[in-house]
Amino acid sequence: MKRSVGIVLTSVLALAGCSSGGDDAASGDTATSACAPSTGQVELTFTSWIPGIEEVVKVWNDKNPNIQVKVQTGPNGNGGTYQNFFNQLKAGNAPDLGQIEYDTLPSFRVQDGLANLAACDIVTGAKDKFVDWTWNQVTFGRQDSVYGIPQDAGPMALFYRADLFKQNNIAVPTTWAEYATAAEKVKAAGGYITNFSQSDVNQFAGLAWQAGGRWFGNDGSQWTVDFSDAKTTQVADYWQDLIGRKLVSTVPPWTTEWDNAYNTGQAWTWVSAVWGANSIATGAPTTKGKWAVAPMPQWNAGDKSAGNWGGSSTAIFKSSKHPYEAAQFALWLNTSDEALTLLNQKANLYPATKAGATLPALTTGVDFYGGQKIYEVFAEASAQVSPDFVWGPLMTKTYADTADGFKAAVSGQGTLAEALKTAQSSTVQAMKSQAIPVKE
Amino acid sequence: MTVTEIAATSTAAEVRRAPRRRTAHRGAIAFFVVPFGVLFALFFVLPVGYAVVQSLYVMERADMFSPAREVFGGLTQYGYVFSDGPFWRSVGRVLLFGVVQVPVMLGLALLTALLLDSGLVKAGRFFRLAFFMPYAVPGVVAAIMWGFLYSPNLSPFTALTKSVDLLSADVVLWAMANVVTWVYVGYNMIIIYSYLLSIPTEIYEAARLDGAGPVRIAWSIKIPLVMPALVLTTVFSIIGTLQLLAEPQVFRSFSSAVSSTYTPNLTVYSTSSIPNFNLAAAFSVVLALATFALSFGFLKLTQRKGLR
Repeated sequence: MKRSVGIVLTSVLALAGCSSGGDDAASGDTATSACAPSTGQVELTFTSWIPGIEEVVKVWNDKNPNIQVKVQTGPNGNGGTYQNFFNQLKAGNAPDLGQIEYDTLPSFRVQDGLANLAACDIVTGAKDKFVDWTWNQVTFGRQDSVYGIPQDAGPMALFYRADLFKQNNIAVPTTWAEYATAAEKVKAAGGYITNFSQSDVNQFAGLAWQAGGRWFGNDGSQWTVDFSDAKTTQVADYWQDLIGRKLVSTVPPWTTEWDNAYNTGQAWTWVSAVWGANSIATGAPTTKGKWAVAPMPQWNAGDKSAGNWGGSSTAIFKSSKHPYEAAQFALWLNTSDEALTLLNQKANLYPATKAGATLPALTTGVDFYGGQKIYEVFAEASAQVSPDFVWGPLMTKTYADTADGFKAAVSGQGTLAEALKTAQSSTVQAMKSQAIPVKE
Repeated sequence: MTVTEIAATSTAAEVRRAPRRRTAHRGAIAFFVVPFGVLFALFFVLPVGYAVVQSLYVMERADMFSPAREVFGGLTQYGYVFSDGPFWRSVGRVLLFGVVQVPVMLGLALLTALLLDSGLVKAGRFFRLAFFMPYAVPGVVAAIMWGFLYSPNLSPFTALTKSVDLLSADVVLWAMANVVTWVYVGYNMIIIYSYLLSIPTEIYEAARLDGAGPVRIAWSIKIPLVMPALVLTTVFSIIGTLQLLAEPQVFRSFSSAVSSTYTPNLTVYSTSSIPNFNLAAAFSVVLALATFALSFGFLKLTQRKGLR
């Protein structure tokens, strides 16, 4: 594997230079950025919030004296890094590369902040390495565009307290109906089956994604926005019912109070993405060995579908003077065995590559989960994620408005379904005020 | 006699030297004013001007993914501002906050300043510093700390926080008012206290001879005389209230009751992170004008009443 990457890189070095421009009159792009190698030593800047990313980058720097990457870390995307990126783009001092989650790529695309890597043969040549749906997320399903290198995926599954379920003789739910029944039993046993994270709208989107909800669409000329299709409404009503019956707690997520709910055994399950394995291990250290992972509950018994929550790409900003070298680094970071293994060890990242699933690190048991080979569950889930979920162009706004409505709903004002309707109309309004074509 | 003579000579000398001295002054004036002027222009006039210009532009796109162009849009963004329900609700919220919190805070500041000034308190220097300490704590840190104290399950005062949810929709505004008060009482106290120190002690002596006790002196002499300090601190507080950002921003993650548009400044912040810089600029300009109108209006009101 390592050798093959080397071969790809060298052969591409020879090929580079011939690639530039591109015919994309259809997309209305004025120009596709060229992808020619620079001469001499190149220094790249890269902003990311992956724990331990510095050490991964150091491995690259040691091997590539001519392409030195300076890594800057910051808060997670919606926690401030995206805002920084937008400000930097406006001010003209954006880094060369940045970590951007799939859901926010369209926002940067709409602000015209990203380099189109379709001109880089090394990038288009790597297409088949990636899991199909992740590649779709960075190309927006188009032939003539690649706006980032897929990094990791966030296939979702059910984390549950194996010990508590066993002690209380509760079967691990395989459908959402069973999950609701289990919730009653857990409540009777003095806990909550889970915490409804009112401000994690991207988690809710993952739940809707699994059910078959589709929030955005675009036909190349305009966007469609629909947060209240039948499938999404079904999910919203389901959770509204659990909230109404007080079968779930509603502690604000990512707070100490929330960690405490998991650490003290008050919350028994978490429907989360693969990287959540890391969140539980760091947030609830005293529960080591007591957790296990099962596939996400299904809407119909026997179905096999999973949602996705998060997952990032490594994007190259349009202002970068060295897109070719940046693409080289991004490909190494997201396809090489050594980088993927390190990223998994440091941050439990689950690679977006097809080959990633067979890495030794991803096929062994994990101590925190009682030695269970948890990544096998996620590998299965990854294959069940529907490839056609599209993110909107103003997700920051969509998330903020939906979270405002969800927060009100858990405080007893309105419902989740109503919150989604309100967020839909404010998203459409925000798109119109920025002249983004949208179908009403 | 000689004194007048000397005075006369020196005046004459001054008159003679006057033109030269004026030139010397010009250099000195420039020396002292230019640094301020440059900084003022760079960090005040320019950004404000830039925000105003930004607020007059709108986005235009040829189609879905073509780069956006900024074109002059007149008052379009202001149209959005004035039809934005959550924004005006947030303005109402901070006004309510200010009407309650500012008098409470300044009342406490005045009370502590009077106590320190009365000489009744032992170890006045210690208390002066102790009251002022919270102001040295950065606002964000103060908000996080209080957030923990309010937390239903982790607070050291769970007996209270379990029965009354201090982070719920009905209470959280006042929970934040408490944080702001905690931070700023000492700061305002110092301003009022230093004003009290500048009052000539002869006035107190006269009052005491007339038979006034400490309470009477405080009420009839000290409070009227520190009115200018109270006016000043009120203006600062009005500005601070309308611009509340750190506390609601921190509380947003703790509390379900704090939305992304809870205060006007939080609305500006959320709008700029969409990113919609033009609309955010329009919000900022409206907020700045409202702040200016309120503080200036308050000053005018107090001047008319002869408080200054």
